[in-house]
Amino acid sequence: MAAGVAAWLPFARAAAIGWMPVASTPMPIPPQEKKKGKDGLIILNVSGTKFQTWRTTLERYPDTLLGSTERDFFFHDETNEYFFDRDPDIFRHILNFYRTGKLHYPRQECIAAYDEELAFFGIIAEIIGDCCYEEYKDRRRENAERLQDDEEMDQSNDVTPVNLTHREFLWRAFENPHTSTMALVFYYVTGFFIAISVMANVVETVPCGAMPNRAKEMSCGDRYSLAFFCLDTACVMIFTVEYLLRLIAAPSRYKFMKSVMSVIDVVAIMPYYIGLVMTDNDQVSGAFVTLRVFRVFRIFKFSRHSAGLRILGYTLKSCASELGFLLFSLTMAIIIFATVMFYAEKGSTASKFTSIPAAFWYTIVTMTTLGYGDMVPKTIVGKVFGSICSLSGVLVIALPVPVIVSNFSRIYHQSQRAEKRRAQRACKEAGKALVAKAASPPFETQHNHLLHCLEKTTNHEFVDEQTFQANCMEISVMNKSGSCASSLSSSPHGLSSCCSRRHRKKNSFSLPSTNNQELSTIQIRERPMVNSRSSLNAKLDGTAPLKCDKSYITPSMVSLSAPVVTSSDGHGSTTTSTYSQSNIVRVSAL
Amino acid sequence: MLSAIWETEGLQTVGIVVLVFASIKLLHLLGLISFSEDSVEDELELSTVRHRPEGLEQLEAQTRFSRKELQILYRGFKNECPSGVVNEDTFKDIYAQFFPQGDASTYAHFLFNAFDTDHNGSVSFEDFVMGLSILLRGSIQEKLNWAFNLYDINKDGYITKEEMLDIMKAIYDMMGKCTYPALREETPRQHVEIFFQKMDKNKDGVVTIDEFIDCCQNDENIMRSMHLFENVL
Repeated sequence: MAAGVAAWLPFARAAAIGWMPVASTPMPIPPQEKKKGKDGLIILNVSGTKFQTWRTTLERYPDTLLGSTERDFFFHDETNEYFFDRDPDIFRHILNFYRTGKLHYPRQECIAAYDEELAFFGIIAEIIGDCCYEEYKDRRRENAERLQDDEEMDQSNDVTPVNLTHREFLWRAFENPHTSTMALVFYYVTGFFIAISVMANVVETVPCGAMPNRAKEMSCGDRYSLAFFCLDTACVMIFTVEYLLRLIAAPSRYKFMKSVMSVIDVVAIMPYYIGLVMTDNDQVSGAFVTLRVFRVFRIFKFSRHSAGLRILGYTLKSCASELGFLLFSLTMAIIIFATVMFYAEKGSTASKFTSIPAAFWYTIVTMTTLGYGDMVPKTIVGKVFGSICSLSGVLVIALPVPVIVSNFSRIYHQSQRAEKRRAQRACKEAGKALVAKAASPPFETQHNHLLHCLEKTTNHEFVDEQTFQANCMEISVMNKSGSCASSLSSSPHGLSSCCSRRHRKKNSFSLPSTNNQELSTIQIRERPMVNSRSSLNAKLDGTAPLKCDKSYITPSMVSLSAPVVTSSDGHGSTTTSTYSQSNIVRVSAL
Repeated sequence: MLSAIWETEGLQTVGIVVLVFASIKLLHLLGLISFSEDSVEDELELSTVRHRPEGLEQLEAQTRFSRKELQILYRGFKNECPSGVVNEDTFKDIYAQFFPQGDASTYAHFLFNAFDTDHNGSVSFEDFVMGLSILLRGSIQEKLNWAFNLYDINKDGYITKEEMLDIMKAIYDMMGKCTYPALREETPRQHVEIFFQKMDKNKDGVVTIDEFIDCCQNDENIMRSMHLFENVL
């Protein structure tokens, strides 16, 4: 409940008088209003800048420095004000948080200074409003990365730790060539051989002049076939050795084999081995020739050496949908114009437009403004449509390209932001769960009293979602059996009986995945005690139903409220206290 | 011969294509077809209604609150509604925050009508404070009067069964779905029957203000609960 709305709680409670004539049962007693402190102005002097606010405004958040008695430590008797020796500019935002219930992050402030102030005043950052939360998280991450980069740079100048295993050392050498001179040498050698291999593939096909006893020219590859074969063998050996070493050194071999670079490596060296295995068979030589094409993939091995290539590949991948749309719209235009041209040119003699697919070539060449001239329309109608085609080609191609270019950066940043937001949301929910419990106690008790009045008016009680569904299951099962109908209808302790009965059936409430061995052992140990607990529950007051539902163990998100743990101790399960150190999930055994 | 046929065919193609485009353009001009999907303009709601309440002395005279209490009330009111008036949607939002499990909008609607005594669609601070003054500081008679006014939806002086059923459904809606025992369809209706049995003395199917006040004054529970919220502020 927002702090601002809390001011309307008296109104909501007063309006509850409207339910009174309707209710048939007496209402619960309202909580005792403790004597309110005098509602005066408080002067907060922050390094000379004076801020003033009502006492009640500050007390809305009693677990922060300003809202609790901790501020008394800063009381300055001589001037009768509270003095803080902190930054007044940032304090302004902190004070606004008390006033409006929303914390904002000022963009011009340094993130580290802001965090310090928040920590000093006891405010957690997760309650920053949605308007500023993203910016705050971005700046924080940036800062953390910058600090981490600085640390890494320092680290890389240090002597490498000696307790790396050989395997880890090898992997590190492969991934960061700058770590040792051996790695650097290896890096450059492989780069050199990739270049050699690619150049050899290219030069192989250049015509080299005719041999004395042949009429036509031969390519160099055929003329000096032995030399090229030796060169190819040497390169492939180096590549194979490199690949095997990487495979051995990889921390996760399966992941390494699935990665793009390793696939490229394999594809680059496969043609050679297949060529070795296959003989000079005429039937397969066609396929063999095709395989040689794959040798050009060696050039992609350069992407390990160049970060720019990697970025280009990634951006192409992320803009695949835009490119796909461009292709689709082009296809549509091509089909339309090819059809039109075909029917327009049907009349002319010796027309090259023999079919619509044949007209595709003309359309593509015209639309991309290539204009080879091997197919031209001859009729007037054909020429008219041909010119329309070339004009629209300019438009169809020129228009989406800047859109795609600008989409690159937009989509790239957006996808990053979406992932960021997803990750941040989980954090934020956790933070909010903590904060939600921090609402001011007097408001909470009054709010609960109000809800209680509503329950009494309608003779129904609030339960949580799980219980409700359990009850639905209960009732449907009961309707089938019908034998236990009487015990359910006997109401005030109906819940306790339903708890015990629920226990006799093996209801499975799934434990969340943080399943330690120990959690399950607690569960086993607790089960025999449930009957005694149900009778204990019967003695508790009307708000017991909520707790009763957790009488068998459902690990749940429990806040940091200590009373839960102590009452569970009182019920004899001492093992839960050992889990009070675990982070969020705690076993709530009541 | 053949080429002549094909030439005319080509021209016919051109003619048909031109005709089709022209007809589409004509239909677009006539407004029968629209090409752009999103032609919704944002409707700027002019929310520049500003209302300043009457002076503090006048309000002090008209209500039973002290000066300090009026100040506290106004600060809370103005914080949530800086423009000085509450319209029905804001009212529903605020009230719904107190009942997260259910749907408080119907009851908030009835409540809004009860507070909006001059029926101008918005609750100003005077309306708000007058209502609260009756609820928190008024006599039993006035409180019961106010409750009767709340139940009497069409303000004709009689509560019919339909009106009461609406109110009852609104109250049960606030409970939400997850209740124990589970809410059934006929629960509000049964509750209305009980209410009418108690209140409707002459069994004429409606409850008048006198019947209502009489009956409530004779009921101890109701009398006690009327004093429940006296020290809320």
